[in-house]
Formats: sequence, structure tokens, C-alpha cells
Amino acid sequence: MPGSIRPVSVVWVVLVCLLFCSRLLSVGAAPICTNAQAGCHALSLANLFDRVIQHSARMHGISNDLHSEFEQYFLPSKNQIGRVSRNCHTSTIFTPNGKENAQRMARQELTEVILKLLVAWRDPLWHFHQSIAHHHDFNNFSANKALEMSDMVHELRKGVEKVAEKMQMMGIISNSVSSLASPEALLPSDSAEWRLMKDYDLLYCFRRDSNKVQNYLKILKCRIVPEHGC
Amino acid sequence: NLIPPTPVGPHFTECISREQETFRCWWSPGGFHNLSFPGALRVFYLKKDSPNSEWKECPEYSHLKRECFFDVNHTSVWIPYCMQLRGQNNVTYLDEDYCFTVENIVRPDPPVSLNWTLLNISPSGLSYDVMVNWEPPPSADVGAGWMRIEYEIQYTERNTTNWEALEMQPHTQQTIYGLQIGKEYEVHIRCRMQAFVKFGEFSDSVFIQVTEIPSQDSNFPFKLALIFGVLGILILILLIGISQQPRLMMILLPPVPAPKIKGIDPELLKKGKLDELNFILSGGGMGGLSTYAPDFYQDEPWVEFIEVDAEDADAAEKEENQGSDTQRLLDPPQPVSHHMNTGCANAVSFPDDDSGRASCYDPDLHDQDTLMLMATLLPGQPEDGEDSFDVVERAPVIERSERPLVQTQTGGPQTWLNTDFYAQVSNVMPSGGVVLSPGQQLRFQESTSAAEDEAQKKGKGSEDSEEKTQKELQFQLLVVDPEGSGYTTESNARQISTPPNTPMPGSGYQTIHPQPVETKPAATAENNQSPYILPDSPQSQFFAPVADYTVVQEVDSQHSLLLNPPPRQSPPPCLPHHPTKALAAMPVGYVTPDLLGNLSP
Repeated sequence: MPGSIRPVSVVWVVLVCLLFCSRLLSVGAAPICTNAQAGCHALSLANLFDRVIQHSARMHGISNDLHSEFEQYFLPSKNQIGRVSRNCHTSTIFTPNGKENAQRMARQELTEVILKLLVAWRDPLWHFHQSIAHHHDFNNFSANKALEMSDMVHELRKGVEKVAEKMQMMGIISNSVSSLASPEALLPSDSAEWRLMKDYDLLYCFRRDSNKVQNYLKILKCRIVPEHGC
Repeated sequence: NLIPPTPVGPHFTECISREQETFRCWWSPGGFHNLSFPGALRVFYLKKDSPNSEWKECPEYSHLKRECFFDVNHTSVWIPYCMQLRGQNNVTYLDEDYCFTVENIVRPDPPVSLNWTLLNISPSGLSYDVMVNWEPPPSADVGAGWMRIEYEIQYTERNTTNWEALEMQPHTQQTIYGLQIGKEYEVHIRCRMQAFVKFGEFSDSVFIQVTEIPSQDSNFPFKLALIFGVLGILILILLIGISQQPRLMMILLPPVPAPKIKGIDPELLKKGKLDELNFILSGGGMGGLSTYAPDFYQDEPWVEFIEVDAEDADAAEKEENQGSDTQRLLDPPQPVSHHMNTGCANAVSFPDDDSGRASCYDPDLHDQDTLMLMATLLPGQPEDGEDSFDVVERAPVIERSERPLVQTQTGGPQTWLNTDFYAQVSNVMPSGGVVLSPGQQLRFQESTSAAEDEAQKKGKGSEDSEEKTQKELQFQLLVVDPEGSGYTTESNARQISTPPNTPMPGSGYQTIHPQPVETKPAATAENNQSPYILPDSPQSQFFAPVADYTVVQEVDSQHSLLLNPPPRQSPPPCLPHHPTKALAAMPVGYVTPDLLGNLSP
């Protein structure tokens, strides 16, 4: 009886929508709050830092693995550095090259540096993964790692942004809009330079930069919330 | 990467950073000994932090160690360095530059303050766990987060090099499981940067050893159990002793079942009271027993149902004699010499559940204790032969020369059923003797003659104490009268062997005089033939008839149990193996343990 089916189906659709939408709404309705307000998760800054640091450590581990694999198969030379033909595309980003430099740098600046780095690597890694996936020389394991790496950069960036937000809310860093509003603006103009890099160089550069990110995050954490595991 | 065996020129051996803030480089002149003097080689480095960087010389030399030290100001992480060795005349000796970045050459210092604590010991006491903890190297700035270090513990038994490495982890403590008590272990630790390859040096070793400790814990439950056990026993004793509740005593200390003979005081059944028991069983004279006997046998239904069975199992053997047997049995006046086994003269032999076998106990025979028991004469058993059984009467009191004729018949209320020893009559001899067991015919035949002789002798010389002592053959010949079936039985149940001093006959046996006192001349008649139940071989009667019970009288030289030891009159030399003394005190039907020893040949 088509006549009776239509209203029934409409009712079903409405019910399903309600359920689904409520779920969606509930997911989105969990911003980070400074106070323990009802309906939001109040993660501590230390907790956030721990999460992003763990994430960055994992990212660095994967990049290290991939780089070793590459080195093993393609460049079995005792002197790994000498082969770097050109600088990494992120060389233009000013990064502190030592402990004192990093410690002396303002927290906001340091946070910005981290974000810049992470943003700079989003596209290159994606393309790297694409090239590996289509290359018959690489096995699926490497391709999966590359994809994972690319995703991780993306996630880490979001995480660091959240940390920055929280820090801004807590008044640790100033509300500098330029640093966070449009991260793409931070990219150097000649960002296409990375397309010219060979895969191995790209891996090498990323490995270095992931280590930088990891270090900077750790230093930042130990400066701001040193009580937990520094 | 094999190094070619060509002479190696000046080269860098290694560059190491300990804390990612400074680093050192060492070089060697290689085979060029003319360059080994200090200052012959110079270190130049290129720091590629800008496109137009230049080569610079080592900021700090240490010529003694051939080391170039880069301090904090000259160290930049994540920036490629390239090193060169140059001679005096700016000659570059390296084919290619030795390039690196500082984070890749970090080898952390070993951790410090390594020590251990005992976590626990396994319940078996054989192994234990240890918690090892340490401090990160002081040079590494872990607190600032500048270096993230992971540690690797290795341990081995002392004086071996079989190092076992535990999993790397970034914390400053780790548990080692499963170390063995008594062994000494050596532990050391090293570390490296997370996600990097190069390890630092090992720390100094510490030694772990745990020796066995007598633990107090194992004693504790033991003591507790001991205390509880003692308490429990005390309580139990109190319960038993103080309360004296008969019921409780019954439950806790159930009485041991004592031998029972119906109608007899159990006290008498205890060890050493055979005399009284004998007396009682014999009726204290006739009177006592008679009170028992009739009751018993009258109540025994099975007695009544024994009937003459013409179809005996051994019919084959007895067929020939069957007719005569039956006739004899049925013919009272005939001097039938039945083989009889007089079993218990006293009707004590009733089937008793307690005793293993109905014991026939003749109080008169108490000294000798070998009451031969009489098997019931199953009527209808074909007569076997003349000499199947001989009842030899050894009663010294037997004045008459006649051999007692013994007949036992079952079935009467006054029947002295030898419930103790059942003898199945398989044959009736023409002479009137009764073969009590077909299987034993031969045996009896063998010993018949001897038995006869002996019996004759014995009949005369009952005072032959020696004989008596030798063989305590006592049996009684029961004459039982069936229910008027016409049998006459000679009630010459006598004890065969008695000590001279004992009053023989009267008390010796019970004779039931059958109603028809037609005591035949059988009593006399048997003299000649006298089927005897060999007194000496009481076992003979036991052979045949006794289906279940019998008395072991002797053990012969072959270690076979003689239920009716062959009659031997000869003095001991001939019978060294018949220590009848041993049988002196054997009660009828029972072999008490103390007598058991006497059975040995």
C-alpha cells in the first residue's frame, strides 16, 4: 500500500535525521574551555601538551624509519649528509638552532615557528605519498607510512593550534591574530621549491624538521607547564 | 662497506656530541706518519647555515688528543657541518667532506646512580624480581626537554658475557624479572636519543645478588596449623573424657565387634578362656548344652531340608555303592559303619555371622582343642568304599574295643548338626563307613589302614599322652538320629584324644540317643571294619565334606596344610614333622593367631 508507506517512511527519515543530527551536534559541542563549564571538555594545558608531544614523537619516528629505508635502498653511503644537494624548502623559516636560542625565544614566536613548520610540510608530504604510491619500487608498507606521515602532520598542526588557543585563553601568549589566523600566509613565497626536491632529500628534510618540532614543543612545555615529566 | 686495504690517509675518526650542545671531532693521520706531529693537520669546518658560508678553522684544538672541540657558541643543531683536514699547505686530504648534523651524532653520556631494590621473591623461593633505577646523565638536559632519552638495561650472570637486553624505554626505572636466588648478576645501562641510532657508552656495572633467606612466612602457617591441631585434639579429649556420653563415645570410639556366640557371654570368648567356654559349650555337662542345641537346630530351617540326594555329583563313583549306601543309611539295625565326622559335639556350631565358621567347640577337649568336626552326613551320598573313612576313636576312655559307630544324620531336631564343619557324604561303604568326600577317597584309603592300626592302638592306649600330645585329634563322633528315619546311630561320640586326666566320655561328647534305641550291634560290629574317621587325620573328614570350613591341623613337610594329618603312631623320629604339640591348644574350628605359629612343620 504505497499510500500508507509514504507517511511511514517520512517518519522514519525524520527519526533517523534526529538521531544523526543530535550525534553530530554533540560531537561538535565540545570546545576546549578554560573553566569546567557544563558541556565541554576541560583539558588541562599540560595534558594537551603531552598529547601533541607524543604525536610529534611518533611523527618523527615514522619519518626516521622512512628515511632509513630510503637510505638503505637508494643511497648506501657512509656519509649521509654529503648528498644533500640543496637546502630544504623550510630553510627560510627562522628556527632556533640551539638550546639557548630556543629557550630565549619568546613563547609566541616559538609557537609560531612550530606552526610554520607544520604548515610548510602539509603539501609536500601529500605529494610525496602520491609519488610513492604510484612508484613500483616501493612496497605498500612505505606508502602507508608516507600516508600516515602526511596525516600526522595535519593532525599535529591542528593540535598545536589548539594548544595555542588554550595558551591564548590562559594569557600565556598574546592574542596575535596574524600568527594563527591564516597560517598559509606564513609560507614562503617560493613554496614551490619543494617540488624540485628529490624524494630522498625531502625525507631527509622532513626528518630534520620533525625533530625540530618535537624539540620545540618539548621546550615550550617545560617552560610553560614544567611540573609533569620534564 | 669494506675499507680497502690501501694505506689510509688522514681522516676523521669520529665526531660526537654528548648533549646536543657541543661536539668534538677526532682525527688521525692514518698512515702518514710524517703528519703525526702536532699542528701538521688542521681542521676546517663549513657550517651550511647560509648560502655563502665559508670554511673556518677549528675553534679549539687539543693536539694531544687530536681533538677539535666545538663549544656552545659554535654548535648549531639541525645545520649541516662539513669537516676537512688540511695540511700545512692547504692540501686537502679527504676525498669527500665529512658532513653531519649535530642531532645525528649525539651519543649521550651513560646514566648515573644505578642501583636496585628487591621487589619480591617468588613463592617457591627460587627467583625474585628487582627494580632497577637510575638518574639520567647530568650532561643531558632532560629537564628542559632538550633531549629525550631512552634507556636500555642489560644484565648477565657474573663472569659471563651472555648479556640480556631489556626493552628500551624512556623512564628512569625498570623491573628485571626472574632472577635466580643465589646467583650474582651484573647490570649496566646505556642510553640514546629517541628515534636516533647511536648509543652512548655503558655505565659502570652494579651487581645484584640475593641469597636465600629463611622466610618467616613459611613458618607462620605451620605454627598456626600446629596450634589449631593441638587445640582440636584437646577439645576432642575433653569432649570424650568429660562428657562421657555414651552416644558420643559410640560415635568417636566405636566398639570393636567382639566374637559372639549366641547365648554365651562374650567375656568367655576372650583370649585365654577356653576352658570355661569349652565347659559351657559342652553344656556344662549335658544340661547346659542341650539348652542350646535344640534351640539352634530346631530353628535352622536348612537342617530340615537336607535330604537324601541320590544324584550326587560324584554319582559316577558312587553309583555302584549308591544303593547300598542308601540302604545302609536307611537301615538302622545294620552295623553300618558310617563314616562320620562328628563335628561339634556340642551344638555350638551354628551358623553365626560373626565367626568365620561355625565353631565346634567341645569343652571336654579343651586341652587338646582339636575337635574334629563332623560333617553332616548327607544322606544319599553314595557309599564310596570300605575304607573311605575311618573313624578312629581315640578316646582313652573307650573301654570297649568296639569302635564307635558314628552316624550322624541330619535332619532331626536333635540332630547334632555339625554346623561347624560340613561334611558331604559322598559314599557309604559297604561296611557302613561313610565316605565323606569323594575326592578324598584315595587319601583316606591310604591312611585308612594306618589309621585303623593307630586307632586300634589308640583305642587301647588312650593314655598315650605322647600320642595325644602329638596329635590332638579330637573329634567327636556324633550320632544323630534323624527323624525317626530308622537310623540308629551309635552314640559313641567320643573324644578321641583327651588327656588322661580328663574325664572322658560323658563330658566328651554328646550323644544323642536316637529314639529307636536300636543301637545296633553296629557298635560292635564295626570293630572289624570300623569305618573310622581317622582321628589322626581329622583332616580327612575335612577334605571331603567341608565345603567351606575346615581346620588346619598340621602343616607337613611340604608346607601343605594338613587338615587331617595322616595318622602316625610312630614316635617322633618318624614324625619329625608332626609337631602335634603345636596343636595342643587349638580350639575346634579356630586357629587363633598364637596357635598359628604352631602350625609350622
